[in-house]
Order: sequence, then C-alpha cells, then structure tokens
Amino acid sequence: MSDEAIILDRGYRSYEGHRSGVGGAIRSVTWHSIRNVLGIGRLARHKVFPAVSVIIAYLPALIFVGIAALFPVDLVGEDVLPSYADYVGFIGIAIVLFCGLVAPEVLVRDRRDGMLGLYLSTPLQRDTYLVAKVAAVMGTLMIVTLGPPLLLLIAYTFEGSGPGGIADWLVLFLRIVASGVAISAIFAAVSLAASSLTDRRAFASVGVILVLLGSSAVVSSLVEAAEMSTNLRLFDLLAMPFELVQRIYGEPGDFPEIETTWVVGANVGWTLFGASVMWLRYRRLAVSR
Amino acid sequence: MMQGVTVITVRGLTMQFGAQRALDNLDIAIPPGVTGLVGANGAGKTTLMSIVLGLREATSGTVEVLGMDPKSLGSRIRARVGYAPERNVLPEDMKAVDFVRHLSEVRGLPRDEARNRASDSLWLVGLGEERFRAIGTMSTGQRQRVKLAQAIAADPKLVLLDEPTDGLDPMQRDQMLALIRQINDEFGIDVLLSSHLLEEVERVCDHVVALDAGRLVADGPLADLIGGNEGVELELVDIADRPHSIDDVASSLAASGLDVTRDGAVLTVVGPDTDVLADAARDAVAEHGARIRRLSSRKRTLEDLFMEQS
Repeated sequence: MSDEAIILDRGYRSYEGHRSGVGGAIRSVTWHSIRNVLGIGRLARHKVFPAVSVIIAYLPALIFVGIAALFPVDLVGEDVLPSYADYVGFIGIAIVLFCGLVAPEVLVRDRRDGMLGLYLSTPLQRDTYLVAKVAAVMGTLMIVTLGPPLLLLIAYTFEGSGPGGIADWLVLFLRIVASGVAISAIFAAVSLAASSLTDRRAFASVGVILVLLGSSAVVSSLVEAAEMSTNLRLFDLLAMPFELVQRIYGEPGDFPEIETTWVVGANVGWTLFGASVMWLRYRRLAVSR
Repeated sequence: MMQGVTVITVRGLTMQFGAQRALDNLDIAIPPGVTGLVGANGAGKTTLMSIVLGLREATSGTVEVLGMDPKSLGSRIRARVGYAPERNVLPEDMKAVDFVRHLSEVRGLPRDEARNRASDSLWLVGLGEERFRAIGTMSTGQRQRVKLAQAIAADPKLVLLDEPTDGLDPMQRDQMLALIRQINDEFGIDVLLSSHLLEEVERVCDHVVALDAGRLVADGPLADLIGGNEGVELELVDIADRPHSIDDVASSLAASGLDVTRDGAVLTVVGPDTDVLADAARDAVAEHGARIRRLSSRKRTLEDLFMEQS
C-alpha cells in the first residue's frame, strides 16, 4: 500500500451544498422520462418498440445517403431522393407509432404506479411537473422528427450534394430545426392530451393513434366522398402537422388551396387545445399520496 | 401545545370532501423528534400528510412546515422534506440505487452527490449489497427500506413516513422501527410517522398526535399521555363463604385514593407507581381474606387513551 492510500468511510451524513431547486427537478424528471421511454437502464423488452420506431425513422435516411454516395445525384435525381419536406411525411407512420408509445409511457405510468404523488412531494408542482413531461415527450419525438433530416443534411453535405453555400445551408438547417420542433410540439400536445384522460397505458396508446388516424380518415371522407369544404382539412390532426412542415420549407404542400396562415393557425390551435386539456385534467386530478 | 420550536404547526385546519369532513378544526404543534400520527384507517392521517406536503389544499386553516408557509414556499419546503408513501410506488424494473439517485436529483442534489448519497442511504437502511438489484425482485421488507432510503437520501430536515411497517413481519418491523429511531437520534432528521399500529408508535415515538374521524383525540409527549399512569391488574377468585370479598377489596383500594375499575373478578388499579399499587393490592387482599388468581403489572397504552377519548 502506498503512503498516499487512504480509506474513505463515507457513510450517511448531512449535506450542506448547493441544491438545484425546481430547474434541477425538471431536468432530472425530463431526462429520467426520456430514458424510460427509450428503455435505457430497463429490461430488453422495453427497448424493442422504441428501437423499431427509430429504425423505421432512420433506415430510409441511411438508404438515401447510401444511394447518394453510390450514384451521382444528377443521375438518380429527385425522383428517387425525397426532399427534406417530403422525408418527414415519408416516415409519418414511425412518428405516429412513436407518439402512441411515448406520451402514454411518459404520463400514464406515473399516475398508475403512484410516482406522481412522490414527484409532487418534491420541489415540483403540477405545472412544473407537466413542463418536465412535455419536454420529455418533445425531446423524444425529436429523435424521429428532427434526427433523420439532420442526418440527411450532414451526410449530403459531406458527400458534396448538400446546399450550395453557407447561407443556403444555414437556411435549410433552420428549416429542419423549425419543422422538427413544430411537428414534435403538435404531436406532443395531442398525444399528451389523450394520455391525460386514462390511467391505462394501452388505452392511451390506442387513443393517441385513433385520434391521429381517425381524425384524418373522417376528414378525408367528408372532403373527398361528401365533397364538403376543403377547409375541414384543418381538423385533420395527422395531415396538418405535415402540411405545416411543407410550408416551413416553402413548398405548396398537399393542400395548396388552404392558406399558410390557416395552416399555422390550425397547428397552433391544436397545440394549445391539447396542452389545455392536459393542464385542466392535471389541475383537477386528486393526488393524495 | 402551541409554544416552543415546532416542525409542523397546524391551526384551525379543516378539510371537507363534499358532505364528509375529513379533518375537523385541528390545532396541532409537532415538535422536533419522532412524532407518531395515529388513528384508525379513515381517521384523516393521510389527508393531513397530503396537506402538509402541499398535495392538497385545506378547506380552511393554516399550516406551517419548518417555519414556512407551504402555499408560498412549497417548493423550498418540499426540497427539505422526505416522503415515503404507504402505497407501493417503486418502479419494478429499476435498480434501487437508480431510483434513489433519481429522487435525490429531483430534490435538488447535484448528479454526483445524488449518486453517492443514494449508495450511502441504501447502505444505511441495510441494502448496500442489494443496491444494484431491480426493485421488482425485492421482498416487501426490502421495498419498504428502499422507500425509506429515497426519503432520507437528499438529507431532509423532516421525513413523513406513511405506514412504513405495512406488510412487514415482526423481525422486519423491529428493524424498520430501529432505523426510524436511528435517523432521528444520529442524524437529527425529524420524523412524522403515520401508523394505525399503536404499539409500534409507543415503541419509537417521542410525541403523539392521535386522530379519530378527523378530530384531534390527543396531542402531546408520549410520556405525558401514557407514562404517568401505570397500574396492576388483580384477578380474584369468588369464594362461596366470602361473597363480598371482591367488593371489599375494591372498596378498600378506592378508599386509599387509588383509581379502581372492576370487570367481573378482575380489578384494574391505576396509579403512578406499580410497586406501590402492587403492595396496596396485596394488603387489601390479605385484609379481606380474598384469594388471588393473578396479579400482573399493567402499562397504560395508547389504546387505553383511544378507548377513553373516542
């Protein structure tokens, strides 16, 4: 044993150091929730579904990057390689599936197993708890809404097929970030609202997917089969976020007859509506222990 | 008792759920130390704890925790209060050390400190070797210890423990009660222990708050509530040729100024000194030629207090 060797008997003792307060509590719950959803530190079976969703979201991007690397862009052109705006719609099913997983896991679990009461016995209050949960859902959704387009941008840039100059690159980068954040916020609000209404994760997951797909099916039927006003598309919770992404990239989108202002308004409206439903539900929720 | 240093002060606290009054105009002052919050299921213990934690807002009245008002300084209070709920809230697939570390971070500790203190707390409650096990694989006793560890890991000033011995066997219960006593004696953490088991409260608490159907039945130091009234139980035998011997013994003891109650052939004599009572009982029996079947000391308990007050 060297002369410098010492044995530290830590043991339980008092702590007089810094405490991070509400900000630290929000960060910790956010990170903990993200880890939970992704199955980090949990049994293997909890990693399967998020892994599948992430693979569905990233695999096309990797394939497109490979195609762009192997073949000249002039040769394959835009018929094969989708635009950044189209890519988000391309992986729409992965986003919907991920929504069905993420919000119920993040929100319902705490109510069902009593962790909500334990969290509310810490510096967190209902509002700050919800801030942490919204951040967790948005952060997790951005893995599939923001990550793949960013991967495409970086890979295309290294392959020499990215935007022409720094200014164009920055504009595209900002559009990718804006669309990723926007689509995550809308889907987070809608899926959290649905998840706040039940204490069963399975019901919440089905509910989230039904709300998204069901609203789209009903609106499409009314517009296409019943030939009602195309403005009803504003109630299509699945299509409107993807339409907003198209507009952020400056493209006309799938419903060019609807003005961009209305598209933005509908998405903001649905986000606020979803957030309000969740907030009202938690404001009234009885938490005793 | 509304004077001196208190960790929790409640004034005129009422909680109404529709037509049901869960707490009825309570005035309570809980001093430092280990305090037992006792009462039957439905007495209002959990409701009171919820209000102290800020999980519920009282219908009327005021609460002060660690000298602060939960309404305006709730986050600051809760950063210094640990809580172990009655319900099993532990995530099954999480390691004990990860769970305790996470709750410590949420209560404001930096990441490294939270990690170290999670281990320290789990060692303290006797789960040092088990800290990397998934909570779902642990026994009920171990889970109760994990709940205690998360409550104390962030070095609280006060911990609220809701039925911490629930589901434990007698040996585990002894160990848990010893741990609760230890965290107050060695580390100066004040404890509010909610329990419907009066016997365990008597074993570990300095102070008792007793509720019955939302009303305050008793509030004071345990020694004052039960300590000065020990007694003896005297079981006599009916004798055919001395039909009034039991009455005579009871009258004799009562005439000596002792508090005597009779239940059949059993006389209960209550007073401050068991030895004096036993001597008096023996003398009375000898004087009236009665015959003793049993003479045993009898300690006044919280149950007696409840029976008298309810």
